[in-house]
Amino acid sequence: MILLESHNVVIQNTLAEKFNKPGSIDVVFVDFDGVRFRLSTPTSKEIIVLSMNIRCWDELAKYGVTDVLQREYGSRVMPQPEADYHVSLEYAIDSIPPPGEERDALIKAASLLKRNALAAPFENAFATQKTLESSETSDLPGQLMEIHYRDEEAIYIQAANDRVTVVFSTIFKDETDRTFGKVFLQEFVDARRQNTAMQHAPQVLYSSRDPPLEIRNVAGLKRSDDVGYVTFVLFPQHFSNPERMQSTISHIQLFRDYLHYHIKCSKAYMHSRMRARVAEFLKVLNRAKMENKEVERKTVTGRTLVQR
Amino acid sequence: MSSLRPYLVAVRSTLTAAMALENFASQVVERHNKPEVEAGTSIEALLNPLVISRNEKEQVLIEPSINSVRMSIRIKQQDDIERILCHKFTRFMMMRAENFVILRRKPVTGYDISFLITNFHAETMLKHKLVDFIIQFMEEVDKEISETRLSLNARARIVAESYLATFG
Repeated sequence: MILLESHNVVIQNTLAEKFNKPGSIDVVFVDFDGVRFRLSTPTSKEIIVLSMNIRCWDELAKYGVTDVLQREYGSRVMPQPEADYHVSLEYAIDSIPPPGEERDALIKAASLLKRNALAAPFENAFATQKTLESSETSDLPGQLMEIHYRDEEAIYIQAANDRVTVVFSTIFKDETDRTFGKVFLQEFVDARRQNTAMQHAPQVLYSSRDPPLEIRNVAGLKRSDDVGYVTFVLFPQHFSNPERMQSTISHIQLFRDYLHYHIKCSKAYMHSRMRARVAEFLKVLNRAKMENKEVERKTVTGRTLVQR
Repeated sequence: MSSLRPYLVAVRSTLTAAMALENFASQVVERHNKPEVEAGTSIEALLNPLVISRNEKEQVLIEPSINSVRMSIRIKQQDDIERILCHKFTRFMMMRAENFVILRRKPVTGYDISFLITNFHAETMLKHKLVDFIIQFMEEVDKEISETRLSLNARARIVAESYLATFG
């Protein structure tokens, strides 16, 4: 599995199961970036409530997350979310379509809750780019949107008249991560340049320590060696039609997780390699040990020879 | 840059010569029998240390004494990645030093990994096989590091390409 999926498998499986066979349930689970979910049947078995807690809700609310969720989930969005959660969806069993494509689509949509919530600022930026492009007054960039989706890491999105810039700030915890991260990010930068098939991909820029120009004025940026900034420049072709736009959003959201996931995978691979190699060295060393010649000797009839 | 072969040949013959070890109890403390090269309490029991150098980044230090020989290797590290891979690998080995009886838990300063062979090791193990082990280690550790590095780069490339291809 090279690419990460943007839907949540727990939601998908649990809902599919509970729609088939209604029953009471109360599970709490997590997703990337410290997002917490709760699936429960608070009032009766007939109503399943899916709630989500996401760190950057206040920021998302500013960029129109409620509209996006309203569009995606309609009346299923509960007016008052569960306590300690930011958004709740309500699924009454009798409103669920019969098994088939329609139901699968409904379940899939539910499992994309986190992705849809995080999509709001991106959609906002794409819309801003359209208006900036048509107004043609000046090339003043749009508002810089900050989404602090993790403790120390954030996404910055800014629309201009001909592009949308997405900047990820990311922290590498230890030196190995930092070095590996550098190798990976360098490949991201080079891949587009070297491979002609990648000409459609967004431009990727990478800088460590110093934030890129777009976000230089943002307050509270950490400047240290373990911070990296990755800039994606999205051109109108990446969000020209709705389908394209949705897939772009799905992928770009998961960039940070994707990068770190593969750094961890490389470390795991390196570790298993070392393990194999060390075992081999040990074998070579053990060959140096003198064999113990004391073997039990027996006669033809099976009696053991004992030294007195 | 000279090739690897003469370097390893030099290490092999020096190490074989240095492994003329005998039992030697401490002259300072009664009923102690410590590797003199580590204890360093009686200078007359130490022999001249020797450095075999292929280049600045690849060196071997052999410190013989009457009952033990300490051998330290500096492994080639071209850049940050190789430095980290080398550090990880040697650390991984040294954490298993009890299995590698002749491995020292900490390297001598300035080197990446150290072995300590005492007369007891030389008595219970075949000397030429011990030397074989160290030579094979030196040969393969470079190979291992460069292979790991290549696979890391290849992985990074695939990861980047498959991610960017989704935008196509």
